[in-house]
Amino acid sequence: MDIYDVLLRDFPFLLKGLGVAIVLLAALLAIGFLLGMAICLITLYGPKTRLVQWPLVVYERVFRGVPIIIMLFIFFYGLSGIADIPAFTAAILAMGLRSAAYQSQIFRSAFQSVPAGQMMAARAMGMSKVKAIRHIIFPQAARHAIGPWTNEFSSEIKETSLAYVIGVVELTRQAHYIITSTQGNVLTVFAVVALLYFILNRAGNSLLYAFERKLAVPGFEK
Amino acid sequence: MKGITTSILPAVMVGTMVLGSSLAATAYAQDPYTVGVEASFPPWAYVEGGEFKGIAIDAMEAIAEQAGIEIEFQDMPFPSLIPALAAEKIDILATGLTVTEERSQNIDFTIPWWETNDVVLVPEDSDLNVFTAVCCGAKVGVQGGSSQQAWMEENVLNSSDIDVELAKYDNYVTAVDDMAIGRISSVIVDDTSAQEYINAGKAVKMAGKIYIRAPLALAVAKDDPQGILGDLNQGIMAIYDSGEWGKIVGEYIPGVTVPAIPGHMPDFVDTYQKPVAGLPELGNE
Repeated sequence: MDIYDVLLRDFPFLLKGLGVAIVLLAALLAIGFLLGMAICLITLYGPKTRLVQWPLVVYERVFRGVPIIIMLFIFFYGLSGIADIPAFTAAILAMGLRSAAYQSQIFRSAFQSVPAGQMMAARAMGMSKVKAIRHIIFPQAARHAIGPWTNEFSSEIKETSLAYVIGVVELTRQAHYIITSTQGNVLTVFAVVALLYFILNRAGNSLLYAFERKLAVPGFEK
Repeated sequence: MKGITTSILPAVMVGTMVLGSSLAATAYAQDPYTVGVEASFPPWAYVEGGEFKGIAIDAMEAIAEQAGIEIEFQDMPFPSLIPALAAEKIDILATGLTVTEERSQNIDFTIPWWETNDVVLVPEDSDLNVFTAVCCGAKVGVQGGSSQQAWMEENVLNSSDIDVELAKYDNYVTAVDDMAIGRISSVIVDDTSAQEYINAGKAVKMAGKIYIRAPLALAVAKDDPQGILGDLNQGIMAIYDSGEWGKIVGEYIPGVTVPAIPGHMPDFVDTYQKPVAGLPELGNE
């Protein structure tokens, strides 16, 4: 059986691995989005007391400053004394919490790129702070955030492949299976895997760019 | 809004903790034992067509049937397996696992079920011999965390002036491929795997053997918290006596001479002190 027959036979398992990667990606981006947005809003508009702001700064510094592979080990092995979490959950938590730190910075820069006068004008017209953020600042910030967010999306897709170190059988690990059971063919197998990652990445980015175009206001900031 | 946003963070944190602890509860309720394997290590354990295969897989299933226990396999890269066992993420470790003194301090071994020697692999067209392949500026490939790495460090790197550099790989297939490209001059691997590469038609040959008579065994977490060491020992003995073991091994390594079980049990392993769990007549005095 040559390598192409093996690849054809095992292609469903590669797709299964891709499915695992996609679920992991969706979950970690969702956690990252919710938590990152919350951190951004509290940092910019929440109470300015140290009690609130310092933990957020520490959180963001730690999760951006520690390699993800070490975070994966800490969440999988280190936390086993507290809660016996399975590998997949550990991967979602470690990568999602790290993504939150990155996304909080993406959102912070997007919100801060909206001129301060906008908020003042909205308040002067009698809007509450919440209303001003919701109807004036957020719609403009969201448009600024999509570009940098495609970066986060692209890099997280590729980092899902690291989850195999704690036993999550995703696309890269499935590729390892083919390589070791056929005793080689590293180049061929990884070329196919690279193509799969590339297609997923392109598809996701195309959707995001389409969304960006749909949101674009004609004649505004162009 | 302020109230909402400030409450999101704790809510998410509490949410994940609830999620974590509920998962923990289901994990403890699970009946089958989790058997950790390195599924990129033929012929001991690998995946073909989406199914676990290999000597360790088939033998583990036979032992489980013998002992009347339920098992499920969990694949992990080799360097993660022993930490996973120590953290009780897996209950049993079944792969081509070499018994070493250092490992025996962190995990408990079953009786040895195999014995390997290491071989020095070189490219087919190489004129290096077993000595020149591991000296004088050679770069030698091993699997990270493997017993071969430990052996090289103990016997060559740390105890002599021989100028050798170790290259550590995630698995042996990449090491052998790297040797084909010429990045390293030789690979030290156990004889069972080496034979596998040669049978698969790789352009390698054995420059020579290192007779270390390393026993291979299954392992459980230190002090056997699940109380299954005795069952596993009896299971290994039972499938050996019934001839099933020989059949399984013969299927993966045709024509091999199967070492007797129990093989040589090194003194430094505490679980080999008399009486051995499940087999009280065995053990070192």
